[in-house]
Amino acid sequence: MGSMFRSEEVALVQLFLPTAAAYTCVSRLGELGLVEFRDLNASVSAFQRRFVVDVRRCEELEKTFTFLQEEVRRAGLVLPPPEGRLPAPPPRDLLRIQEETERLAQELRDVRGNQQALRVQLHQLQLHAAVLGQGHGPQLAAAHTYAASERTPLLQAPGGPHQDLRVNFVAGAVEPHKAPALERLLWRACRGFLIASFRELEQPLEHPVTGEPATWMTFLISYWGEQIGQKIRKITDCFHCHVFPFLEQEEACHAALQQLQQQSQELREVLGETERFLSQVLGRVQQLLPPAQAQVHKMKAVYLALNQCSVSTTHKCLIAEVWCATQDLPALQEALRDSSTEEGVSAVAHRIPSREMPPTLIRTNRFTASFQGIVDAYGVGRYQEVNPAPYTIITFPFLFAVMFGDVGHGLLMFLFALAMVLAENRPAVKTAQNEIWQTFFGGRYLLLLMGLFSVYTGFIYNECFSRASSIFPSGWSVAAMANQSGWSDAFLAQHTMLTLDPNVTGVFLGPYPFGIDPIWSLAANHLSFLNSFKMKMSVILGVVHMAFGVVLGVFNHMHFGQRHRLLLETLPELTFLLGLFGYLVFLVIYKWLRVSATNAASAPSILIHFINMFLFSHSPTNRPLYPRQEVVQAMLVVLALAMVPVLLLGTPLHLLCRHRRRLRRPTGRKEDKAGLLGLPDASVNGWGSDEEKAGGLEDEQEAELVPSEVFMHQAIHTIEFCLGCVSNTASYLRLWALSLAHAQLSEVLWAMVMRIGLGLGREVGVAAVVLVPIFAAFAVMTVAILLVMEGLSAFLHALRLHWVEFQNKFYSGTGYKLSPFTFAAADD
Amino acid sequence: MLSALPSRGLENLQRPSLGSLGPASRLGIPHPAMTAHSFALPVIIFTTFWGLIGIAGPWFVPKGPNRGVIITMLVATAVCCYLFWLIAILAQLNPLFGPQLKNETIWYVRFLWE
Repeated sequence: MGSMFRSEEVALVQLFLPTAAAYTCVSRLGELGLVEFRDLNASVSAFQRRFVVDVRRCEELEKTFTFLQEEVRRAGLVLPPPEGRLPAPPPRDLLRIQEETERLAQELRDVRGNQQALRVQLHQLQLHAAVLGQGHGPQLAAAHTYAASERTPLLQAPGGPHQDLRVNFVAGAVEPHKAPALERLLWRACRGFLIASFRELEQPLEHPVTGEPATWMTFLISYWGEQIGQKIRKITDCFHCHVFPFLEQEEACHAALQQLQQQSQELREVLGETERFLSQVLGRVQQLLPPAQAQVHKMKAVYLALNQCSVSTTHKCLIAEVWCATQDLPALQEALRDSSTEEGVSAVAHRIPSREMPPTLIRTNRFTASFQGIVDAYGVGRYQEVNPAPYTIITFPFLFAVMFGDVGHGLLMFLFALAMVLAENRPAVKTAQNEIWQTFFGGRYLLLLMGLFSVYTGFIYNECFSRASSIFPSGWSVAAMANQSGWSDAFLAQHTMLTLDPNVTGVFLGPYPFGIDPIWSLAANHLSFLNSFKMKMSVILGVVHMAFGVVLGVFNHMHFGQRHRLLLETLPELTFLLGLFGYLVFLVIYKWLRVSATNAASAPSILIHFINMFLFSHSPTNRPLYPRQEVVQAMLVVLALAMVPVLLLGTPLHLLCRHRRRLRRPTGRKEDKAGLLGLPDASVNGWGSDEEKAGGLEDEQEAELVPSEVFMHQAIHTIEFCLGCVSNTASYLRLWALSLAHAQLSEVLWAMVMRIGLGLGREVGVAAVVLVPIFAAFAVMTVAILLVMEGLSAFLHALRLHWVEFQNKFYSGTGYKLSPFTFAAADD
Repeated sequence: MLSALPSRGLENLQRPSLGSLGPASRLGIPHPAMTAHSFALPVIIFTTFWGLIGIAGPWFVPKGPNRGVIITMLVATAVCCYLFWLIAILAQLNPLFGPQLKNETIWYVRFLWE
C-alpha cells in the first residue's frame, strides 16, 4: 500500500562521532533534517554539560545582536533577511564574529554617547541664546524705577547691610510645567524684594535625550540684596533651571549673542559629522547582522544537540543516539562520511535495537497534509499502527456532504476552494498574516473535496439552493391519479390537500433513477418521506463505517503479531456489531424491497420488531417481514450475547495461559534472550524489523503481565465496545439531523427572501429594481448562515464521527511524532 | 421551480388551450413522456459506472509514491457514492404512501407535466 498506510519504519541508530568531526557532522545533520536526537544526558543539569561554555558564548553574542537590532530599529532602518542558506560556522569562526560584533557594538555605543553629549551642549547654547534674546525690556525699566521709588518706604532701617541697593538680575530658563510653581515659591519666599518676569519662547526646542519638543519659559528676576540673591539661586537650583549670566548693556548682550550663535553653528557641524558616522556604522551593522544572527543561531542549536550526546573518553568520541527513518539511513551514513573525511577521521552509524516505542513518521505532500492534520489533532498514531488518514481523505468530505447536501452551496464552496488552490503559489497569498485566512487556506484541499462531494449529494437529495430540478421525468403521475379518482376542477376547488395513492394504477411509475423524485419538493408531506429515508440512510452509513473500522483493526493485530486477537476480539466484535445492527440494516433493505403499497396499512414496523427482538416479546399487530423471523432474531440475539463473554475473557485467559507456559520453560527462553540482545554488529541492516518487534514484545510481556490489569483493561474494552455499538449507531443519526436542518434553513431563506422578491410587481421594471437589494440580502445570508455557519457545523460533526465513532474501533493515537533536528526555523 | 404560484381562486381559471400552456410547448419541446421508470436499467448503469471506477480504475493508476493513496481514494469514492445512490433509489422503490399536494399544484402539474 501507499506510504500513508502506517508509519514508516524508524530505527534507533547509534552514532560514533570523533571529537574532531563532531561539530561538522551534527551541523550537516541539522541541514539535512533527518534525525531526532535522544537526550542521553537527561540526568545532567544544563550547567554541567560538556558544551555549556560554547552555548553561553553564543548566548552572549545573541545579547549583543539584540542590542544592535534595537539600535537599528531606533534609527528607523530595517534589517534585510539573510540571503541563501548559510551553514553553521566552524568554532574558530565564532571568535571572529564575536570580535567584529563587539567592535561594532562598542563603536555604536561611543558614537551614540558623543551624539548625546553634543546635543545636550547644543541645547544649552540654544537656551542661553533664547534667554538673552528674549525681550524683557519694559520690565527692566519698570524694575529700575520701581526699585528707585520704593526704596525709601520699604527700607526703614538706616544704612547698615542694606546700603548696597543695586538691582541684580538672574536670567534663566525653566521647563514650562515647573514655571508656575517657581513663580509661586519665589513670591512667597522673597516677596517684595524681587520682580520676576516669565516669558514663553516662541519656538519649541528639542529635548536632547528624548527628542520631544518642549517650549521653555525664560525668566528674568531682578532683585536687590545679597541674601535674596542667594535664596533665589538656591530656589532656581532646586527647580533644575538653567541660569545664565545676564548682561544689562545692550552691546554686551549682542556680543554674547553673536558668540553663542557662532558656537552653536560649529556645534551643529560637529553634530552633523557625528550623525553621518553613525549612519555609516548602522549600515555596517545592517550588512553584518543578519547572516551573523542566522549563523550563531545554528551554532547554538548544534551545541545544544551536542550536549545531548554522551562522551566516551576511551574512544575519544561522542556517542549519540538518534531516531532515523530506515529509508534515510544511507543518506545519514553518506552525510557522516562526507563531513568526517574532511577532518580526516571517520564517523560511524549503526542500528541498535530499542525497547521504547519509536516515534511515528508519515510523509505527506501538500494534499494529504491537511487530512493527516485532522487525524493528528486527535492523536498521533502509535508506531506502525494503521493510519486512518488515507480513508479520511474520502470519508470525511463524504460524511460532511451528507449533512450539507446542496448543489448550489457545494458549488460555491468548490469554486472558493478552487480559487485558493489555483492561487496557492502566489507570494502574496503565502505571506498573508491573517489567522482566519491562514486557517481556510491551509484547508483548501479539504474544502475542495467537501464542495465536490456536496455537489454530488446535492444532486441525490435533488436540492439546488433548496429548489428541486427534474432532470429526468418524475416517477409520479398526477394526471393518472386525477383521471382515475375523478378530480374535476370543482372537486379540486373544494379540497385544498389531496394525496396521491401509489395503489392506483399508473400513479407511481417507478423509482426516480438518480436521487429523490422532484415531486416530493412540491408535497406538503415531504418531510415524512425524507425523514424516513434519511434516518435509514444514516443507520446504514453508520453501520458500514463502523464495520470498516473494526476490519481495519485486523491489520493492526496481524502486524503486531497478536493473531489470537483476531479470533478472540475481532470476530466477536464483528459478530456482535453485524448480528445486531447489520441485521437492522438487513431489515431496512428487506422492507424496502419486499413491502409495497398494496398492504401499506398493515406494513410492519421495523422499530417495533427491533425492540421486540431484544425483549424477546411479540406484538400481535405487527406482522412479520418474513416467515420464521422470530426464530432468526432470537438466534441472533443469543449469538451476540454469547460473544460478550468471549470478548471479556478470551484475550486475558489466552495471555495468562501463554505466560504460564513460558514461565515453565525458563532455560530455553534465556538463550534466546542472549541472542536477541547480543552486541550490535556494524552493518546497518543487521536487524529485521520483525525480530525487533517480537523480541521487544516478548520481553514486555514476560516482565509485566499483571493479571488484574489485563482483565480490567479487557473489561473496559468490552463494555466500551458493546455499549458503544448502540450509542455510536444512534450517534450517526446526526447525519439525518444536520441534513434536515440545512434543508429547512435553505428553504426558509428562499421562501422568505427570494420568493417574495420574485413575486413582487407586475411590471418588468419594478421587479428588476427590487430584486437587486433582495438578491443581495439573499446572497449575504446564504454565505453567512448556510455556507459559513452550517459548513462549520457539519465540519465539526463529521470530525466527531471520525474521531469517536470510527477511530475508537481500531485507533489508539498514543504515539508521538518524529521531530527531526533541523535548522528550518533559522532559515525562514 | 413550481412553487411560486400566485394564489388565485381556481374558479376564475379555465383549462388552458394547448397554445397557452407555456414556453415548453411553444418551443416544440415534447411533453415529458409518462413512461415507466425501470429499476433494472439505472442499477446496471450505475453499478457498471462505479464498478469501473472502483474496480477497474486502480489498475490504471501510474506507479509512483502516491499509488496506494490514489487507489484508496478511488475505491472509497466508488463505494461511498454508489452506496449513497443505491440507498436513495431503494428507498423509493416501493413507496408506502404518496405525496400530498395542494390543489393548485395538482392543477398546474397535471397540465404541465402531461
